[in-house]
Amino acid sequence: MIASTEDRGTTAEPSDAVRFDGIVKGFTGVPVLKGVSFGVAAGKVVGLVGENGAGKSTLMNLLGGNLRPDAGTIRRDGRPYTPQGPDDARAAGIAFVHQELNLFPNLSIAENLFLRDFPRGPGRLPWIDRGALRAKSEALLLQVGLDRDPATPVERLPAGERQLVEIAKALGADARVILFDEPTTSLSSVERERLFALVAKLRDRGIAMVYISHALGDVLRLCDDVVVLRDGEVVGAGAATSFDHDRLVSLMVGRQLTQLYPERLPRTHDVAPGAPVRGPVLEVSGVSQPGIVRDISFQLVAGEVLGISGLMGAGRSELARILFGLDPHGTGEIRLDGERLDGPPGERIRRGLAFLTEDRRGEGLCMEASITDNMALATLRSHTRTPARWLDSRAVDLVVGLMRDAVRLSPKAKGADAVRTLSGGNQQKVVLGKWLLAAPKVLVLDEPTRGIDIGAKSEIYQLVHRLADRGAGVIVISSELEEVVGICDRVLVMRHGAITGEFRRGGFDREKMLAAALVAPKP
Amino acid sequence: MTSAGTIGGRGSRSVARILGSGHFGLVLCLMAAVAFAPVAPGFLSSGNLANILVGALPLLVLATGQTIVLVTGGIDLSVTAVIGLASIVGALVMGGEHGWMRGSPMAMPVGIAAMLGTGATIGFLNGFCVARLRMPAFMVTLVATMTFGGLAVWLVKQAAGVESIYGLPASFLALGSRPALAACLAVLATVAAHLLLGRTLLGRWFHAVGHNPRASLISGVPVGRVTVAAYVVSGIFAALASVLITARLETGSPNHGKALLLDVIGAAVIGGTSLSGGRGKVVWTVHGVLFLALLGNGMDLLNVSDFLVTIAKGAVILVAALLDVWRRRLAIDAE
Amino acid sequence: MNSSASKPWLRLLDLAPVALFAVMLVVFGAMSDRFLTTGNIVQVLVQASSTAVVAVGMTFVLLTAGVDLSVGAVMFLGAGLAGKMALAGQPLPLCLAVMLAVGIAAGAVNALLVTRLRLVPFIATLAMLHIGRGTGRWVTQTRAMNLPEPFLLLGSARWLGVPLPIWMAGTVVAVAHLVLTRTPFGRQLHALGNDAEAARKAGLPTGRLLAAAYIICGACAGLGGILALTQLGAVSPKFGELYEFDAITASVLGGTSLFGGRGKVFPGTVLGAVMLKCIFNGLVIARADPYLYPVITGAVIFAAVLLDSLRDGIAKKLARRRIIPAG
Repeated sequence: MIASTEDRGTTAEPSDAVRFDGIVKGFTGVPVLKGVSFGVAAGKVVGLVGENGAGKSTLMNLLGGNLRPDAGTIRRDGRPYTPQGPDDARAAGIAFVHQELNLFPNLSIAENLFLRDFPRGPGRLPWIDRGALRAKSEALLLQVGLDRDPATPVERLPAGERQLVEIAKALGADARVILFDEPTTSLSSVERERLFALVAKLRDRGIAMVYISHALGDVLRLCDDVVVLRDGEVVGAGAATSFDHDRLVSLMVGRQLTQLYPERLPRTHDVAPGAPVRGPVLEVSGVSQPGIVRDISFQLVAGEVLGISGLMGAGRSELARILFGLDPHGTGEIRLDGERLDGPPGERIRRGLAFLTEDRRGEGLCMEASITDNMALATLRSHTRTPARWLDSRAVDLVVGLMRDAVRLSPKAKGADAVRTLSGGNQQKVVLGKWLLAAPKVLVLDEPTRGIDIGAKSEIYQLVHRLADRGAGVIVISSELEEVVGICDRVLVMRHGAITGEFRRGGFDREKMLAAALVAPKP
Repeated sequence: MTSAGTIGGRGSRSVARILGSGHFGLVLCLMAAVAFAPVAPGFLSSGNLANILVGALPLLVLATGQTIVLVTGGIDLSVTAVIGLASIVGALVMGGEHGWMRGSPMAMPVGIAAMLGTGATIGFLNGFCVARLRMPAFMVTLVATMTFGGLAVWLVKQAAGVESIYGLPASFLALGSRPALAACLAVLATVAAHLLLGRTLLGRWFHAVGHNPRASLISGVPVGRVTVAAYVVSGIFAALASVLITARLETGSPNHGKALLLDVIGAAVIGGTSLSGGRGKVVWTVHGVLFLALLGNGMDLLNVSDFLVTIAKGAVILVAALLDVWRRRLAIDAE
Repeated sequence: MNSSASKPWLRLLDLAPVALFAVMLVVFGAMSDRFLTTGNIVQVLVQASSTAVVAVGMTFVLLTAGVDLSVGAVMFLGAGLAGKMALAGQPLPLCLAVMLAVGIAAGAVNALLVTRLRLVPFIATLAMLHIGRGTGRWVTQTRAMNLPEPFLLLGSARWLGVPLPIWMAGTVVAVAHLVLTRTPFGRQLHALGNDAEAARKAGLPTGRLLAAAYIICGACAGLGGILALTQLGAVSPKFGELYEFDAITASVLGGTSLFGGRGKVFPGTVLGAVMLKCIFNGLVIARADPYLYPVITGAVIFAAVLLDSLRDGIAKKLARRRIIPAG
């Protein structure tokens, strides 16, 4: 594999500003990078594309000194580069511009630019030389084309201008290598054009850049070379001109991994003649919230597994939060079993809704509490006796014990153990068990298998199907196209807060699905 | 890091496990008993022990209520103000020259109800500000201390024109003069709190909210109402402590219980209740209260001046808090 | 809430402390002619000087999203030692230096507990409150001490017609203001308070910054103790009691956020400290029922904390990412 990519690689010169050679990295036995090699020359922009989970962010963390490779070497200007932390990366002239910006909104632009080493006044006094700070900041802002007073607090800037400040910060640190990670996600089209012009200018100044993005059109337009990652391997590399949009997409999704997903036949019984006509269990009509989602309408039939696909930040999780009553929605209506769904989450749970969130640690579990307490939390009320809502803890232990077996929780874990001590897969099974105990009519799963090993993944898929077969409606939100294609009966694709495509099992077309997620609907 | 270096050893790890397992307070009590028994004259006499227990009753009730708020991840500094205001309200209802129900046989029950109602009201206001207005519990209850403490002083001046109110009905004073009665009341309340926290739906919800309010909300826990309930319980328990103190001192005064705040939080923390929420038991708090009572009494018998008692209490709180950090770090390291 | 609709609200809430102060001046000014006279204003400033200095130190700690409950006890301990020394005939400057040193030492212990031993600031400084008060009572043997004349002279001395306490407090405020706004340390402290994790990732020496904040707070407590001593001329067992609450209150009244990363010594905290004394002074002049003072003060602080919470809520809403691109 490495050899073949070397052959295809166009950037194998020793003059590369940064070069990866046979990088291998795994987490708790799961390989994430399996021998990645490519280089970035000074004055070039390399586009790095791949599905979520292909290994892009791991690669960036290696370069930033947050992780260390299991095997392989990174070279910086031809010399071996083994960063022990973010400071080493900074010293080596490597800077990052992340999707989530690392700025302090309570400080001014100038202060953010020079937070680590302010220009000092004369005589080694600890005062900031405000004149020099302003002059240096203005020079940097001029370079990135941001016409703002450096004393402006960052919290007053729109997202696009914050992005420019972040780039100015990289330039101020004398970065010779800049990595952009999804820089355009929160930018308007004007702001995006400004960013592209800036990238072109930096290229002329001899700065090496890596540009990570799902916006494939932008990548092809902006980059000199493109590297395609899939499952931790380089599956395509070369000059941007040698790719087109469709080829990139097919390289990105190429794999088939059938045995991971339980068999799922195209569903016919909801349209079959003679079958009992079942109404939709969940109806969403015209739900909009300014700036978040617009005009979302769909129906979910009992027994159906509905996938919602799209890129990160497409509004999928936000839609789920609206369904569950965690965030407000402006217009539109949600109905469960034909009746309007209203009120706080507790009320919706009693009506038969359940929600496995994407943030397992922050919102799914009480990490320090026991397995039993976590699993029982959503259904405790049904095990109480009046007066005083006395808890029947024997009944709780009994049903939790049964559910532990049903979700195949590791038998080593004791019910009183804190969930913090469990692996990611087992933690997710605890959350899933919590919701299965509630016997929901509609279960919404947001990124149910993120950060989970293959074995637990497949078990979770089987649980999802079993729940659907028992007559519940299931919504699976996932960034991994393979996952929704593998387990869903029907898939909705979202982009920029709206539904941009609908596909049924039997008519799944990965390229069209990805296109719906990536391409803006023509106005 | 020096601390990590000295406490990272295997031997100290098992020590940490014992001390962090929730029996730290009990171990401390035993240590205090063993230390004082030979040197303090009459420390282990039944009379002295009874003294210790009866003297600790108000603190027991207060710290128990506080434990529930701490379990939800909050803090209630306003308990001392509740004691003062409830004391005045009760005294204004029951006795003095201007008592509204002076001489009536219903004075005692109505008075106690008014005191508990005062506590519940202040607790509700605290809870409302914390849960609905999302204000920091520390500041909310601090302001409540100031405001309601001031209100108590103003009220007693305004209504009675004196600093403190005497002449409470005999049926009420019996709570102070007959220790068994007071003990019954306090123990009953403590047991009720123990059962509430450990055996009921609301108790589990208190823990869940303290562990992770967001996860609790998503699991259908009515986080707002649960939080308010915790402060209401704390307010009622503070009012009950006020009943005990007012009866024992035979006066209604806005100054009752002013010095107790640090002991209240100290007792809970020494017992092992975590200030970051989710972890706490009434039994632990009982240990903490008992320890502070033993320490105070033992040093009293030894004629140790009160400033040394204060220093010792501070040091013990520090050690308890260090153990809490230490235990959590070991738990994380063990992964 | 729509972001464009809530931004003006955010600006308005930023102005809340000044607005609160202005309303108070107008109300008291209308109630009594004596309130806005030069003599009265100077008196209020002198009364506010010690609170202001302690509150300035507290602002440093609050900026890091921490708290220091031990300042009152530290003042008492320092004053007790200084009083003992003064009565034993030691020179005045040495006594004052000891008070400052006690403050710095206590601050260093707090810093150690919070940074190295990673204790919650609330509980660490609560324990230090106990220990400091206990030690102070041991030093003074729980007896009140009347200090020699020079202490009081210091409090009533004037330079260029302005009382010395105002000069001293003014100097502390000016230096603190410059440190917070004009030095790398000050700006980095703001960054740390805004997001400690991000500050660590940005390569800032978070442990040293945090420790410095507690040490500065301790030093200010020592200085505040000196100022209070020059007014009172005596050390009672209650000396410095509740100063921690006054200091936190003054900071919060002045717009310092309890959530960290936001706060100004000038005008903010100074305004807060002066406001506290103004409420008191205004109520006295307006002949309000003295027993209502704490109730009214409590209401004013409540308003300040409520505004801070509202501000924090709106800022968090604004920070949420928009999904549908604007352009």
